[in-house]
Amino acid sequence: VIEAFKKDIDRTLLQQNLRRTVEERLRNLLELQRFARELVRAGREARDDRR
Amino acid sequence: MTDVEGLLRTLAQGGVEFILVGGVAATAHGSARLTQDVDVVYSRSSDNLARLVSALAPHSPYLRGAPPGLPFRWDKGTLLRGLNFTLTTALGDLDLLGELTGGGSYEDLLTDTISIQVFGVECRCLALEGLIRVKRAAGRPKDLEAVAELEALREEQDRWER
Repeated sequence: VIEAFKKDIDRTLLQQNLRRTVEERLRNLLELQRFARELVRAGREARDDRR
Repeated sequence: MTDVEGLLRTLAQGGVEFILVGGVAATAHGSARLTQDVDVVYSRSSDNLARLVSALAPHSPYLRGAPPGLPFRWDKGTLLRGLNFTLTTALGDLDLLGELTGGGSYEDLLTDTISIQVFGVECRCLALEGLIRVKRAAGRPKDLEAVAELEALREEQDRWER
């Protein structure tokens, strides 16, 4: 199962992260969390507008 | 949103003995998966429980998902009576684990950690091999996906170091 999952992993993202420091990796996570939250908010607004 | 920086600083500056595990630990190693909460394994020594209570008290810890108004007391007695706590705090979601499936206690895990300097503080973080082991032991579908990524990461690290 794990080997099957491995085929779908984007290794370029991992290679990119390995070039970063630990702090840069965690700051990147914080940015992603902010982005995900913004997407959720935008999606909710779009659904509300349609009603 | 979880303030990872704030939570790690709060714990480290409060002198809490803890090991970063879970998704944030995976991120520290280079994982590209998005995670929302901070998972730590904490030492159950009496002094550490006192430090944990003091460090988190200003951030209003409460049981995540529990209805408001429950008589939840954030004190050493509560920590002694429980083991693993899924908390919400003013800094975001924090899972406090007294034991980790496939990994054991803080003391059991300590030899399998690395030290990381981040946000101006030093933290212990579960090593990549340890993370793979505990994710395998957890065995949920989402953990198997995480294991696949962590193993790919290990392969990339090996290539990177060569």
